[in-house]
This record gives sequence, C-alpha cells and structure tokens, in this order.
Amino acid sequence: MSKPKVAFFDFACCEGCQLQVANIGEPLLDVLDIVQVVEFREVMSEKWNGDFDVAFVEGSITDEHAVERIKKIRERSKILVALGSCATIGGVNGMKNSFDLEEVGKYVYGESYKFFPTLHTKAVHQVVPVDYFINGCPIYQPEFLTVLKCILQGIPYYVPEYPVCVECKLNENVCMYDRGVTCMGPVTKAGCNSWCINNGNICYGCRGLTINPNTEGFKEVLKNYKIPEDFLIRKIEMYNKCKEFDKS
Amino acid sequence: MKTEHYRILEKSKITDFLDKLNTISKIAAPVYKGFNNYAFQTIKSAEEVSLKYIPTVIPPKKYFLPTKDSLLEFTVGNELKVEPTVEYENLILFGVHTCDIAGIRCLNMVLSDKPKDTAYLIRKKHITIIGLECNDYCDEFASCAFVGAHLPTTGYDLMFTELEDYFIVHIHSTKGSDIIEKTGLFKPAQTIHMEELKVLREKKSAIFNNEIPTERRYLPDLFDRSFNASIWKELEQKCLSCGNCTAVCPTCYCFDIKENVDLSLQAGERYRVWFSCQLDPFAKVAGGIDFRRERSARQRHRFYRKFRYHIDRYGMVFCTGCGRCSRTCMAGIKLKEVLTSLIRESEAKIWRKWL
Amino acid sequence: MAKVVIKDSPYNLKKAKILDIKPLTEKEKLFKLVFEDKTWLDFEPGQFIMVSLMGIGEIPVSVCSSPLNRHYFEICVRAVGKVTNSLHKLNVGDIIGVRGPYGNGFPIKIIEGHDLLIIAGGLGLAPLRSLILYAIDNRRDFGEIHILFGCKTPGELLFEEEIEEWSKRLDIHFACTVDRADPDWKGNVGLITSLIPGVDLDPANTYAAVVGPPVMYKFVIKELLAKGLPVDQILLSFERHMKCGMGKCGRCQIQNLYCCKDGPVFTFKEIMDMAEAL
Ligand SMILES: Cc1cc2nc3c(=O)[nH]c(=O)nc-3n(C[C@H](O)[C@H](O)[C@H](O)COP(=O)(O)OP(=O)(O)OC[C@H]3O[C@@H](n4cnc5c(N)ncnc54)[C@H](O)[C@@H]3O)c2cc1C
Ligand code: SF4
Ligand code: SF4
Ligand code: SF4
Ligand code: SF4
Ligand code: SF4
Ligand code: FES
Repeated sequence: MSKPKVAFFDFACCEGCQLQVANIGEPLLDVLDIVQVVEFREVMSEKWNGDFDVAFVEGSITDEHAVERIKKIRERSKILVALGSCATIGGVNGMKNSFDLEEVGKYVYGESYKFFPTLHTKAVHQVVPVDYFINGCPIYQPEFLTVLKCILQGIPYYVPEYPVCVECKLNENVCMYDRGVTCMGPVTKAGCNSWCINNGNICYGCRGLTINPNTEGFKEVLKNYKIPEDFLIRKIEMYNKCKEFDKS
Repeated sequence: MKTEHYRILEKSKITDFLDKLNTISKIAAPVYKGFNNYAFQTIKSAEEVSLKYIPTVIPPKKYFLPTKDSLLEFTVGNELKVEPTVEYENLILFGVHTCDIAGIRCLNMVLSDKPKDTAYLIRKKHITIIGLECNDYCDEFASCAFVGAHLPTTGYDLMFTELEDYFIVHIHSTKGSDIIEKTGLFKPAQTIHMEELKVLREKKSAIFNNEIPTERRYLPDLFDRSFNASIWKELEQKCLSCGNCTAVCPTCYCFDIKENVDLSLQAGERYRVWFSCQLDPFAKVAGGIDFRRERSARQRHRFYRKFRYHIDRYGMVFCTGCGRCSRTCMAGIKLKEVLTSLIRESEAKIWRKWL
Repeated sequence: MAKVVIKDSPYNLKKAKILDIKPLTEKEKLFKLVFEDKTWLDFEPGQFIMVSLMGIGEIPVSVCSSPLNRHYFEICVRAVGKVTNSLHKLNVGDIIGVRGPYGNGFPIKIIEGHDLLIIAGGLGLAPLRSLILYAIDNRRDFGEIHILFGCKTPGELLFEEEIEEWSKRLDIHFACTVDRADPDWKGNVGLITSLIPGVDLDPANTYAAVVGPPVMYKFVIKELLAKGLPVDQILLSFERHMKCGMGKCGRCQIQNLYCCKDGPVFTFKEIMDMAEAL
C-alpha cells in the first residue's frame, strides 16, 4: 500500500500549530515512515498539484479569497483535518466578531480598508465539512499523534466531552482556585492533559468551551472568588466568539 | 487491646525509622505541595514527609487502582496476540489516615467481588499500609466520625498513634511485625502506654462529634425518602460537572476503557482510566440518549452511590468522611451541607404528616 | 515496577474467527463466529458478549443465535460508530477478540411451560432471535408463541428469510409492522404498540419479552398492562453504556442495579419504581 499523501495549509493564524507538528521530535521520523508529506510550507518549499489523502488546515477563514481556497482544498482531499484553535473554533481571530466589521477594517488597514473586504471570522467547519478536529492554541503534540493514528486506522477521533479539570486532577496538580487564581479548566474541553496547569500556568481556555458547560454556575464561582464577571466573558470570547455561527 | 501487639517509637526516632524503612522498600508518604495541598509521593528522605497533613489531593487509591492502568497488551499483524498484564511493585504506604484506609476497604469490596479483578488483587498484595491516626479533625470538611472512619479498626499492617513524646504502634499483621523487627527502633509497650492510648481515645470521642445531624443507621430511610428532594435541583444550578469530587473520592472506582496503538498500528495496549458519573459521556449510548442528562440527576447519583446503593449491594457506606469532595469543589458544594439539607427536608415532611 | 502476564484476568480475550458475514440491511450485518480453540460459547438467550477489535475498542453485543447451536455463534451488528463501523469492514477469516458471556439473560426455565409473547423493535430482534430460536428448538416446552416485530421502514427488516419462515409456521403467531411504508409494502403500517391489542392471549399464563429502542418501552408496557399482564411477567432488556460487563466500571448503573450484571433483562416489577430505568 502506498503511503497516504499528507499536506498542510494555513489560513489566518500564527502558524504556531504547524510549528508544533514540525517540532514534534523523535516521533516525527516514525510519522514520516508511514505518511508522505507533499506540501508543508513550514518545512519545505515544494507545492503539490494532485489530490491529498489528508489535508491539515490551520487558521480561520476571514475573507472571500479564503473561502474559495478552502473549498478547493476540500475538493482535493479525502480527509480534512482542522488543526488548532483558529481552525477548530475560530480562536483568537474570532475576537474580530465582537466589533463592527468596518471598524476592524479601518483599524487594520486605515482608510484603504474598503479594498480589503473582510468577513466575519469563521472556523473551518463553518465553511466546509471537517472530518477531524485537533483543538488547542497551540495544539498538544500527543493529541496530534493520536488523531493521526485514528486517521490511519480509519476510525473517528472523539474530542473529549469533559473539562480539563478531569485530566488536571489525574495529574494531581494543586488547583489554581486553591492558589487564589482563576482557571478556565472547569468549562474548557479536555484533551491537552492539562498541559498548562502541569507547567504552573492557568488554563486560559484555548480548546474552547466544553459541551454543555454550566456558564451560569461558573459565573457564580467567579463571583465567590471575587473575580469580575467580564473577566470570564472576555476569556470565553477570546477563543469562542465563532461559536454563534454553529447554531445557524 | 493486647499490650503485646503494641510497640513504642520515640518521636525523635521517626526520621531514623523512615530512612531505615526507605532502605527496605520504596515508600510513599504525604508530601506538602503548597497552598494547603498534600500528595502521596515516593520519598527519598524522611524530611519530605508531612506528619501533619490534611487529606491529599487524590487518595492513596492511586497505588491500588492507578489513574491509568494497562489491562492488555496486544500485537496485530500476521497473528493476533493478546496478553493481559499487571504492573506492580513492593511499596510501603506510610502515614495513611484512617479515612483513607476505610476507602481502600471499599475498593477491596468491589474489586474482589466476582469476577475478581486480578490486577488489583496482585497490586494490593504487594502494598504494605502503615496508618497514622488523627487525634483531631483535619479541617471543617471532615465527617469521618459519622461513618466511624476516625478510629483505626482494620485494613492496615501497622498503625501509628501519636502520644505525648512517642508513637504507640499497633501491629496488625506479620508484614507489620517484620517492619518492626527489621528497623529495630521500637520498644515494647507497657501498661502506662496503653493507659495513655485509652485516655486519647476517650478524648477523641469528645472531639469527634457526629458531624451530621443523624445516625448512620438511618441513612437507608433518609435516602429512600430523598430521591426528589429539592437540594438536587439546587445542585443543578451550581455544579459545573467538572468531575473533581469523584476523582478525589477514595471510594469512587468507575473507569473508562481506552486503546493506545503505536504509530506502526501493529502493537498497543488497552487500558482503563479513572472516569466519573459527573461527566457527559459517562452514561450516553448510541443515538445520544443519556439516562442521567441533568446535572441534578448526576449529583444525586453520586450521593446515592455513597450513602444508599452500596449499603444494599456491599453492606457498606461508601463514604469515608474524608471531606475531599467538599474541599475540591470550586462551586462550593459541601457534602455535610447536602446531607443536612436532606435531613431537614425529610424531617419537615415527616412532621407535616403528623400535624 | 515488575510486570507479569495474568492469564486469569477477567479482561482476557478469546480469539474468534469470522466464518461468514451476511449483510441484513444497509446498516446491519450478521457475523457467524467460532472460537479458534474450538470451545463453544455457553450462553443463555439475552446474554451478551464483549467484542474487541484490538487498537480500536471493545463493545457489548447480544448473541443472537440459538444457545443450542454448538458449531458457531452469531452476532448482528448495526454500524453506528467506531467499533461497529470497523467490524463492518472485516472479512471472512478475520479474527476478533471475545469475552463473556455476561449478564443474566432471559429466565427460560421460568418461561417454559407458559405462553411467550415476543415484542421486538428494530435491532431489539437480535437478542430476541436467540430466545425465539431456542423456543423453536424446544417448541413443545412452550405454550402459544406470539412474535411482534416492528421497525421504521421495510428496508430495516432484519432476518427477512427467517421472518418469512416464522410467519408461515403453524405453531407461531407472527405479526410485523413498519412505521413508514414504501409502495411495495403490503403489511401493517403503524407503531408496534398498534399490534398488541390484536393479540389473543391468556395474560396470567403469558411471559412477554420486550427489547427495542429506549422510547419504545413505556408505550409497550402500557399496552401490556392494559392486556392484564402481571408486572413480574413483563421482561425487558435494557441497553446502557457498558465498558467492563462485570459490575466494576459503574457505567451501566441504573440506580442500585448494574445493568451488565443484574440485567440486562429485568422484570417490569423490578424497575417500575426506578426513575432512571425507563
Ligand atoms: C447489552 C447490550 C447489547 C447490545 N447488543 C447489540 C447488538 O446485538 N447489536 C448491535 O449492533 N449493538 C448492540 N448494542 C449496542 C452497541 O454496544 C453500541 O452500538 C456500540 O457500543 C457502539 O460502539 P461504537 O464503537 O461503534 O460506537 P462509538 O463510536 O463508540 O459511539 C457511538 C455511540 O455509541 C455509544 N456507545 C459507545 N460505546 C458504548 C457502549 N459500550 N455501550 C453502549 N453504547 C455505547 C456512544 O455513546 C455513542 O453515542 C448493545 C449494547 C448493550 C449495552
Ligand atoms: S487547576 Fe484548573 S483545570 Fe485544574 S482542577 Fe483547578 S480549575 Fe480545574
Ligand atoms: S490547559 Fe487550557 S489553555 Fe492549556 S492547552 Fe489545555 S485547554 Fe489550552
Ligand atoms: S467538584 Fe463540584 S462542580 Fe465539580 S462535579 Fe463535583 S460537585 Fe460539580
Ligand atoms: S464522598 Fe466526599 S467525603 Fe465521602 S469519601 Fe468521597 S470524597 Fe470523601
Ligand atoms: S477525615 Fe477524619 S480520619 Fe480523615 S484525615 Fe480528616 S480527621 Fe483524619
Ligand atoms: S458495564 Fe461496567 S459495571 Fe456494568
């Protein structure tokens, strides 16, 4: 069997997630044993004109040009994977949606903003169907490998439907709330093995809201810990602003 | 209380004891982690150990039922090969409080029930438990006296009780007496020591009051009346379904089973990992039907698992009163308060019937 | 850390070879299996096994063949997710892992000597087929046998040839209905509950065995009670999320019952006061 052809593409993002893939370390050699990377701007200059078995797409969709481009990529690939928060949930780019688009245009491009039509930021699945989601800002390398294996096995990957606290407790961290700091763990999708907390940082919610979060209850918690409520709104908006498009 | 089953260790010798013990076997003991948190960890020297500590973040059940525990190893390819495995080591747990010992007794009950969980039983055989009695409450969240877990009964090899300037140590097994012999630091106990132990226990019965305004024997009735209690609805609003209360509970044992393959896709392992009835995927079946969708139903399930269901099944209350669930809950859901609320509501109902 | 192999682990698997695969509908396939070591699966109708695809997962599946068949056993699998779709991709000759059987199964020794009313909704026919085949093999030990089968559309009819055969037998009363018909469908149209009033039965002497999707139970039970069936003669088999199959993982718990161990078959009497059961 020939090795599956894999390509990486980026849209509006920092390319940090692709960097995470490129820097995955030792397992990268094993990965290259089983897949053929045909396009990956981060590490090679070649371009590929044929079809792909797997396309990893980083970044969110922010303008008409990007919409056309992602549609083409979708047509050319058997499996499409959204890589990183920008691609899976709109991520930080979604913050744009909190503002008037014209304002954003003016702010970024000055008076010439009219020549740069901009759309509301969208996550990839809000524009074309996505087969696999790898959350995180940046992505968590072990999860990338897990998803890759699922792709090769031809089985779905389910993003954990529970919050980061679950993994955090198994790692026996001292809870941030005990340290007197707030933490987005209770309302954020797990899958990163509570990476940030293990390293002494709070969870800032980069993987997006968990399914069925109790946001009202969470507001109460913040109140009891004397943390201003708009802190939460800002944190949630920081990554989840694009969520509103999922409903329509 | 037979005097010949007791030994004395001077307090000044406890470091010597731990360091000697460490040459015999690997030791795990409570270690301070900052911000009033403690964790059981393997130690290098006696200095790391906190003799005064409140229940650790996760209980010592992690040594019996590891957070992640391999069940099978397999290779596919030309021929399918499957091997169930268990990893274990000789380990001495030092400083286990009586509530956590009660927790391990609960796990024993479930995992030695048929069909027996072989891996658990093997691991358990290789662990030695040295208990440490609490002379006072660890903090306001504890309710160990309610379930009788504040006193040493069984489930340990040695039990240390702190008295004026020495520890009186109860030997409960030959595993325990071997340690006494090998470390060679203990003296036989005398009548005076036994007297002092008795005085302490009497003092304790004054300190450890029933923290919850009912008695253990009324639990089945109380819970039989409380399935539709209003507190469950209140918890619906508060609970974040983070699963912390179950992860830290010494008597929770629910797990998920997952697979891990290597990149060749030819070999891998099947393992279990702690899981929780508070989480969304716990009870969902195909088609997305969830038989405990509401947070209120999940919280109720947790409390019934602790205080009702297992009384019928295993004849035991599955709460040790360790207070971890209340300590860890950022939503401020407190076990003692929930039970008290159930009691009040149930009393009110009974009164109404009489009026 | 020392590591040892524990052959007696309850999670150990037996290898089973796929002898035959038969597509039944678009979503369901029937797998004929035999243990590689030539031992046979000793089970009761209504019991289930845990089926493993190594590296993919393990799922509970009812055995749907007759327990008296010593040559092979069968499972009928609907493709809904990870493991089930992967199972559908396997070929004859492939090896899968099996442990079990688990659960209590239908109390056949109690049912024998009575009339039997089988009510199957969709894939619920799988575990009931085992009971039906057993009853056919031991026909003289049962009284009247009624089989009611309902599914959404004619395309979802399972075991069509067998159904055909059952409907022709003189010693079985068979009726079938679909929720939505297509132009070729000649039979009944309507929910399975619509068939119950028409069954001529002696309630005191009848055991009903009901398996189907969760929404079905409440309505069927209502009809059966209206027919005068005693609560302890209504047998229900429940689906719950199951991981261990032996009362350890807690996933399948219905209040104080473990569905995997105390069930999956319960009498209505056992669960009628349980809010989480239905
Ligand atoms: C006692 C019993 C008997 C069953 N008999 C049959 C049968 O004869 N034929 C048949 O096709 N199916 C049967 N099922 C259902 C079957 O077990 C599930 O469809 C299967 O587990 C889905 O696995 P999956 O990996 O394909 O799905 P996944 O991709 O894991 O998930 C798809 C959906 O199935 C649910 N699910 C996942 N694992 C389980 C599980 N262990 N138990 C229940 N639901 C689960 C998930 O919550 C999800 O909603 C039975 C279930 C039980 C409990
Ligand atoms: S530190 Fe954050 S993620 Fe960890 S348990 Fe506390 S709130 Fe949850
Ligand atoms: S801990 Fe939170 S912020 Fe950190 S990677 Fe995980 S989800 Fe993202
Ligand atoms: S720890 Fe508190 S918030 Fe979290 S699941 Fe338990 S009760 Fe709910
Ligand atoms: S329910 Fe709470 S107090 Fe009781 S044993 Fe569990 S964690 Fe401890
Ligand atoms: S709950 Fe009781 S036994 Fe446990 S640590 Fe606290 S005081 Fe000691
Ligand atoms: S399936 Fe594990 S307890 Fe029932």
